[in-house]
Amino acid sequence: MTVSAPESSAALVKPTAARSYRIWIYLAVLVIALSTTRIFTGADDITSSGTLRAAVIAAIPIALAGLGGLWSERAGVVNIGLEGMMILGTLGAGYFTYHYGVWVGLLGAAVFGAVGGALHALATVTFGVDHIVSGVAINIIALGVASFLAEALFTGLPGGGPTQSPSLDRPPTISVPGLSGWTESLEDKGWFLVSDLAALLNVVVSQLSLFTLVALVLIFGTGWLLWRTPFGLRLRSCGESPSAAETLGVNVYRYKFVAVTMSGALAGMGGAFLALVASSGYQNGQTGGRGYIGLAAMIFGNWRPTGLLTGSLIFGYTDAARLRSGGESVHALLLVLSVALLAIAVWQLIRGARLAAVLAAVVGGLGLTWYLRTDTIPGDFTQMTPYVMTLLVLALASQQLRMPAADGQRYRRGEAG
Amino acid sequence: MRRLTKIAAASAVLALALTGCGNDETGSTTGSEDICEGSSGNGPKIGLAYDVGGRGDQSFNDSAYVGLKKAVDDLDASCKEVEAGTGENDADREERLRLLADAGFNPVVAVGFVYSPAVATVAAEYPDVNFGVVDGYATAIKEQKNVADLTFAENEGSFLVGVAAALKTEAKNVGFVGGVNGPLIQKFEAGFKAGVEAVDPKIEIQTQYLSQDDPQQGFENPAGGETAATGMYDNGADIVYHAAGKSGLGVFDAVEAAGEGYWAIGVDSDQYLTVDEAQKKHILTSMLKRIDTAVFEYAEAFDGGSAPSGFVTYDLKSGGVDYSTSGGFVDDITDQIDKYKDQIIAGEVKVPTAP
Repeated sequence: MTVSAPESSAALVKPTAARSYRIWIYLAVLVIALSTTRIFTGADDITSSGTLRAAVIAAIPIALAGLGGLWSERAGVVNIGLEGMMILGTLGAGYFTYHYGVWVGLLGAAVFGAVGGALHALATVTFGVDHIVSGVAINIIALGVASFLAEALFTGLPGGGPTQSPSLDRPPTISVPGLSGWTESLEDKGWFLVSDLAALLNVVVSQLSLFTLVALVLIFGTGWLLWRTPFGLRLRSCGESPSAAETLGVNVYRYKFVAVTMSGALAGMGGAFLALVASSGYQNGQTGGRGYIGLAAMIFGNWRPTGLLTGSLIFGYTDAARLRSGGESVHALLLVLSVALLAIAVWQLIRGARLAAVLAAVVGGLGLTWYLRTDTIPGDFTQMTPYVMTLLVLALASQQLRMPAADGQRYRRGEAG
Repeated sequence: MRRLTKIAAASAVLALALTGCGNDETGSTTGSEDICEGSSGNGPKIGLAYDVGGRGDQSFNDSAYVGLKKAVDDLDASCKEVEAGTGENDADREERLRLLADAGFNPVVAVGFVYSPAVATVAAEYPDVNFGVVDGYATAIKEQKNVADLTFAENEGSFLVGVAAALKTEAKNVGFVGGVNGPLIQKFEAGFKAGVEAVDPKIEIQTQYLSQDDPQQGFENPAGGETAATGMYDNGADIVYHAAGKSGLGVFDAVEAAGEGYWAIGVDSDQYLTVDEAQKKHILTSMLKRIDTAVFEYAEAFDGGSAPSGFVTYDLKSGGVDYSTSGGFVDDITDQIDKYKDQIIAGEVKVPTAP
């Protein structure tokens, strides 16, 4: 990953119109590519509403963890403790949902996560502990605290045990009556492009969890709060140049503390989503590294809300595809990837970047050969798909990444020279 | 600042203390009934070491406990239970086994294949103590007189639920969700497939493993289990069998969401008895793995002076594996399933162990 020096003003102004316009073109190309592949290979599951719905459910916990990372790192604190805060969130969600219902459960998860975040803030902001050391410690502590509390809270409850909560109610879902049936029948037709778009629409209008809506509000709300308000400008200035912020009268410690605590709350809510929407209860070891993946999604997303959401969706989509019709879907995706790489090779050649063109052509050619010579992908490889896919996209997009200038650096009040 | 440092130090110590509790090695078993507390019989002194999850997991640890309870009731045994923590290594497990052996417990039963290397090591140090490993492979590491691996013919039990699935499917399409893709779970898959094919080779079988090598992703991942099973129901299956530990709870969530006419098949214990009320009407049957029988019979054999050694397989013939009938959903086909059962016991039908 190449991290360039801060482009002083560009990073602080809102995304230009041309940029958001480009996203829609990418999306359209992606849908057309997937639809063509579906018709061509007969791998119907790659754009089915079931896969897309599973992708959203897999993506949201990762996105919320990533959003937590965004808050923290925008204020200049690296947060590798997201995994631990997420674990605390799953436990909080399990306990409070069982006793008081899903909404209190979500709140409880946020509070539990925030406690982890506050601990991280205490260590890194107040005491100036190295961010990585504190984060790793929080991951270990959270694991221990969660398994201890789970045994204390859930043993003896009906259906519960020392390592799991009782089965819990799921948050309410909404369906738009007419539309959900209409899109479903349109999807079943299997038409080029029309059915794929119908499946996409079906995910929105049918069985949409209210927690998903909450998560989307949080993600886009963060974009507004951090980039369109004085509060956000001050918070981000703590991550770019805390000394400069200090000379302008910003209480840097307080902003960092708020940001890191909020970071924990968001990661905790990601845990709640995992325990309540993706599964139906708390379980030890449930997070399975999703906090770290959230961190990666945030970096890939260039420390921006829309970017991290895209990263999470890529990961969630490939994960859902491999878990559903494993070999077949991933086999079809291999074709998409190979063709995309060959297209990139041509584009790089036109730009004059010979080395990149040759590399992309070779990898794309190998992928295409593999695709043509096999009918399915063995399980060992399908399991890697989400990681490989995310890594590839990361590698292709990494030239433009720019982290907050003072991210991860120890800041002491009054050291500004 | 100094005060803050003190507070930080105190909270760090507290956190460490809590972490220690979470991983309590000799952990007191919680719960209202505790069979070992008051047991002081003259029979064998049984030491039982649980796998991660411990008693109350509604799965194989609990099943081992049932066997222990029976031993206390029927053999007048006394006992001690110890629990495992998360993230342990072989040295931790060895220490736990030595603890039991030093305290005079004999036989010592370890629950879960993870104990195999530890048992192979410790058994050599205590030649007078008998060790049994549920699902173990300690004999494969080192053959010893005082070590027995209590294994099961999961393929035979899976064959029977495969027969049940084949007789009950209307879509002519069934699914199998496995936890980790390795020899142990492949035994389930092979038996299930053979059972389905024995009834009707034209039935389509979808197979999905949640992970290739990571137990956490495979066995503790209900979200993944639900995604995989939902995919199978979406793709035309109406019955899904799982061998994925706690990830199977996600399979049950998926069948509930799929609605009327869809079924799931449980594993290890009779899962009809432990799932939610709303899910009960979807649990066709369960493949039973009688760990309680294994634990009890091992203790009984020891009590009779002839503790077995080497690989001991509990199969259909010995009642080590079976299928459940709770809920009454397979009542109309038990004749046919039992016919296959008799053929397997008689050796007329051979069930493969690898797909």
